[in-house]
Amino acid sequence: MNPYILATLLFGLGLGTTITFASSHWLFAWMGLEINTLAIIPLMAQSHHPRAVEATTKYFLAQATAAAMLLFASISNAWLSGQWDIHQMSHPLPTTLITLALALKIGLAPLHTWMPEVLQGLDLTTGLILSTWQKLAPFCLLLQVQPANATLLLVLGITSTLVGGWGGLNQTQLRKILAYSSIAHLGWMILVLQFSPSLTFLTLLVYFIMTFSLFISFKISNATNINTLATSWAKAPALTSIIPLILLSLGGLPPLTGFLPKWLILQELTKQDLAPLATVAALSALLSLFFYLRLSYAMTLTMTPNNLTATLPWRLPSLQTTLPLAIASSATICLLPLAPATAALFTW
Amino acid sequence: MTPAHFAFSSTFMLGLAGLAFHRTHLLSALLCLEGMMLSLFIALALWTLQLDSTNFASSPMILLAFSACEASAGLALLVATARTHGTDRLQSLNLLQC
Repeated sequence: MNPYILATLLFGLGLGTTITFASSHWLFAWMGLEINTLAIIPLMAQSHHPRAVEATTKYFLAQATAAAMLLFASISNAWLSGQWDIHQMSHPLPTTLITLALALKIGLAPLHTWMPEVLQGLDLTTGLILSTWQKLAPFCLLLQVQPANATLLLVLGITSTLVGGWGGLNQTQLRKILAYSSIAHLGWMILVLQFSPSLTFLTLLVYFIMTFSLFISFKISNATNINTLATSWAKAPALTSIIPLILLSLGGLPPLTGFLPKWLILQELTKQDLAPLATVAALSALLSLFFYLRLSYAMTLTMTPNNLTATLPWRLPSLQTTLPLAIASSATICLLPLAPATAALFTW
Repeated sequence: MTPAHFAFSSTFMLGLAGLAFHRTHLLSALLCLEGMMLSLFIALALWTLQLDSTNFASSPMILLAFSACEASAGLALLVATARTHGTDRLQSLNLLQC
């Protein structure tokens, strides 16, 4: 792609999110979301591969529908109460519609079906942008809207964690597994949204760090399914020991960073007298843990009988820069002892 | 709920139902999206007219500009799918399922 066009598109991605961040008016928030969607579409379709084009089409349809629903809800709100402010949503019907539209935008459980298919059709870099940066603007809106009824968010959250766990069980494609793990993590964030928005934000950022390091390490070992992952020890032996730790951190095992948000969320839910819900959420994390464990098993804990196509490619110097991966993966693995500092960063 | 509110709401819902349930051609999905955006345009224009607000007078045009961009992106994707899949039927978009 022409560097000027690439620069324009990346600028558009940043601009859209910034406009949504800075807006207090629904029309501007909608404009930011539209700029975001329109900027990533050429990036997604740039390889002209049938899979990429199909993924782009599905993404476009879902995002355009969600944006139109969002604008419809805010115009209805303006007709009903005369308000365009994001913070002052008084009528319950538009608020519910907006919550559902944003759920479609970020891919929460009953509205998640576009997410695994779209991620499957993209390359890993665009997939990384899609599953981290593109979630930021809708999430910022979701944090600002006062929730209309408590049950809607709880149902969305618990369905997302369950579906994210069940859906990933039978997958062999890494990008689909990543999509389902994204759905499950978003479910955790939505569960605690109305009780403690700062905790939601903390979870979002920890998820970003973990997903970033996982995507980058898959990109370095050039793996898109479990089979490739099994022979990647010959390509990057150090990564073979790092990736299982990142995966278990995503799964939320105690000495790793991924445990921090789950711990705080379970504590908050118990504080709100929602212990049964907290139990179901914690059990659904086991489903996700199963497929993370299967990935790490195939990669590190066993020696596969696959034939290698080249002899020991790790001798060749790698062309990719690994500094971002080093920073992100060390944050993924050992941020838990800094838990009070991390949590204090996000309290407001 | 005023008659105007009812009118644009039902138009929007018709477009949304068409998009959600009539899944044969990509072109018809794009037309439904365009219909939804036009109903939003009418809603915004009527709101501005009712309030006689000069602040808001440009907002329907902004909406129209953005929806035109969106429609052009959709048509570009229509051409791209026609070139890669050979047809614009939504049924043929099945490479990514498993």
